[in-house]
Amino acid sequence: MMKKKKASTILAIVTALSVLAGCGGGSAPAATGSSTNGGQAQGEKPSEPVAISIMANLHTPEVPSDMIEKLLEEKTGTKLDIQWVPDGTYDEKVNASFATGTLPQVTYLKNAASLVNMRDAIRNGQFWEIGPLLDQYPNLSKLKPDVLKNTAVDGKIYALYREVPLSRQGIIYRKDWADKLGLSAPTNIDEFYNMLKQFKEKDPDGNGQDDTIPLTDRNDLIYGAFKTISSWLGTPNNWGEKDGKLAPEFMFPEYMETMKFFKKLHQEGLINQDFPVTSKTDQQNLFITGKSGVYIGAMGDVSSLHPKVVEVNPDAELDVQNKIEGGPKGFGIWSVPGYGSVILFPKTAIKSEEELKGVLAFMDQLMSPELGNLIYWGVEGQHHQLEEGKVVPSEDTKLTDREVKPYQAMQVGGPLTIEGFYEPKHMLPVKAKAEEMIVENNDYLIEDPSASLDSKTFNEKGVQLQEMIKDGTYRFMLGDLDEAGFQAVVDNWLKSGGQQIIDEFNVSYESSK
Amino acid sequence: MLQSPAGFGAERKSEIMSETAVKTGMRKDAPTIPESGRMRRIVKNRAIYLMILPGFLYFLIFKYIPMSGLIIAFQDYQAYLGVTGSPWVGLKHFERLFTEPMFFTILGNTLLLFFLNLAFYFPVPIILALMLNEVRREVFKRFIQTLVYIPHFMSWVIIVSISFVMLSMDRGIINELLVMAGFEKINFLMSSDWFRPMYVLQIIWREAGWGTIIYLAAMAAIDPGLYEASRIDGASRFRQMWHITLPSIRSVIVVLLILKIGDVLELGFEHIYLLLNSMNRDVAEIFDTYVYTAGLKQGQFSFSTAVGFFKSLIGLILVMLANWLAKKAGEEGIY
Repeated sequence: MMKKKKASTILAIVTALSVLAGCGGGSAPAATGSSTNGGQAQGEKPSEPVAISIMANLHTPEVPSDMIEKLLEEKTGTKLDIQWVPDGTYDEKVNASFATGTLPQVTYLKNAASLVNMRDAIRNGQFWEIGPLLDQYPNLSKLKPDVLKNTAVDGKIYALYREVPLSRQGIIYRKDWADKLGLSAPTNIDEFYNMLKQFKEKDPDGNGQDDTIPLTDRNDLIYGAFKTISSWLGTPNNWGEKDGKLAPEFMFPEYMETMKFFKKLHQEGLINQDFPVTSKTDQQNLFITGKSGVYIGAMGDVSSLHPKVVEVNPDAELDVQNKIEGGPKGFGIWSVPGYGSVILFPKTAIKSEEELKGVLAFMDQLMSPELGNLIYWGVEGQHHQLEEGKVVPSEDTKLTDREVKPYQAMQVGGPLTIEGFYEPKHMLPVKAKAEEMIVENNDYLIEDPSASLDSKTFNEKGVQLQEMIKDGTYRFMLGDLDEAGFQAVVDNWLKSGGQQIIDEFNVSYESSK
Repeated sequence: MLQSPAGFGAERKSEIMSETAVKTGMRKDAPTIPESGRMRRIVKNRAIYLMILPGFLYFLIFKYIPMSGLIIAFQDYQAYLGVTGSPWVGLKHFERLFTEPMFFTILGNTLLLFFLNLAFYFPVPIILALMLNEVRREVFKRFIQTLVYIPHFMSWVIIVSISFVMLSMDRGIINELLVMAGFEKINFLMSSDWFRPMYVLQIIWREAGWGTIIYLAAMAAIDPGLYEASRIDGASRFRQMWHITLPSIRSVIVVLLILKIGDVLELGFEHIYLLLNSMNRDVAEIFDTYVYTAGLKQGQFSFSTAVGFFKSLIGLILVMLANWLAKKAGEEGIY
């Protein structure tokens, strides 16, 4: 009996506490909200710092130290409130904050696709239109009109953007393995296939066992190997023109060819057997530990892969290659629409045009050479050295990952639009080569014609419908579906709303011509 | 707590309450006792009613008030217009759900996984508890008990990752063993056939030990005199288990079964989401994962609320059905 009484007392206390805790949790965001507003009111007095709230994408496992944040505050006379959200759940966080009206003043979106999902909200006037104001700012006015146009909704500009190279795609491979087997860098799809085959059969790591997985890939049809190989084979980028009309990439024969190529790789054991469920970390680990010899993705990754590969195997050498021809059209490579992510300004957080101008003034300063370099390269002497006017990043990547790298996500514009943006001096020759090839890719781009087009059905169901195609593609590559089976998936896609998407995109395409 | 098995719920608790109530009532004589019997009881037992208050508030604030959010299932909810400003669309979202090509797959998957869960997982803790109950050495029993609880404290992420490493086609230990034994490799992770067994086994591994707690508590409350008497009559251990232990915990089993059915559609979003991939979607997609893709990934709050609402309705119907059946069978039920 005593025991029971004691237990119920504890239970009662715990319940009471959890109720209190619940209330506490609920009131906390409200408190932050009001303090932000208070800050803004104070901001009108010139002496007080302007409060600016920001939501940014965190690509590192930990929240950065506030060193650069403090420097930014000092130089711009602001009080920053930066909310770091991990990359993996970024879109969900934005959607949830949007639904509850708690987006901060400066909202970075994750990528180009996230902007597509926001179009309806933008059209409904949830975000400030900034196009007409940009001319007033010396730095923001340098953003490229072509790229801004790609971010536009119904021809109006609502977003600033962060630059990324148009196409970073290529292969990174083990040069020491290739040299050992007398292979040169592949220049067409057959040579590429041959390289994988040789890596599989000729025991390039010399351990006497048939245990090499030539190509390492992951559960991503876009940033993994699939889309890049589909470009080599001449598949359009998301949408392509067929008899004068736009059609989705998976209705083109080249897409089928790509799937067949992967099916062959999978059957012959030239790719990791679990690739549809392999994470990026596991994918890179296969390469780093020397189990696998070819990696397809952003060529710039070579700078982060190289030290890790060498740590495991000191004799390893890496090389990069971009131009691999796969068909009669010659080499081509898919590109992004000129921006990596965009920045929106919600009306729920920014109440007046005056306030908007204050926020834009801050964004303008972020694009100045001084601050643009600061958030990208960090502090001279600590995070980088200047040699002949070029940046040599510190080799202590742990330090730069903690103090600088996360802030790169807050960049506005980029090397093409910030005057006096430091060029890096690459100590690693292969990284320099990768950068050259990224520039070279610009001459062979396959652009996405649907980037600035709009479809209501796509906004509503696009993601779910795309899952159908994604599932079908994987199932074909793993031999679960044959050609007729995949065609059935496409037919189902058309029936479930795909046909509407095609029609709507074509209407939008005609009117934009 | 362990001394009071949940199954002996209602009756015993009210007994205790009225006992205490009588005591408090006698000690303090309230100055004015209202005419109405109910009010008088409340005033008389105010200390006890006060103790209910935190729990009552908890349910009100965290369970009942949020339920009002369900109305967005009948609106075209737009975040900036809010609940009051969004246009009403009647049953549009439900119509969309029922005409969605995936609808019957999802409904079927959800129900099937639930029944598998019930058929294969539910009896395991009972059997385990019976076995533990028969262990004579107290130290050994406690040791085993603790050992089987431990997996419960691991998150699904860990459990799924461990299975992933073990079942991988690229050097997963299970597949290596299969090859060594002369079999073909099996693609466990990306196969529709293996998803369900994998799901149920992972649940059993994680939850079976934890599930024994309430049964063991119920068994501890069985009158030892019954066992003694049966021993004198010459009953074996097995006979005792069959004729004394099991009937004594029957009401606990029934209550837990009904509660379990109430969770019908809580199949564990996290768990399934982690196991889900392109190759097993046809058997693994359930309402929860679907709500996640439609609602959070694409921001269709109204539609996903409608889906969630529908899911809860199925749950409610099943609970009522189970409760009705329990009463038919002469058991107490939960209400």
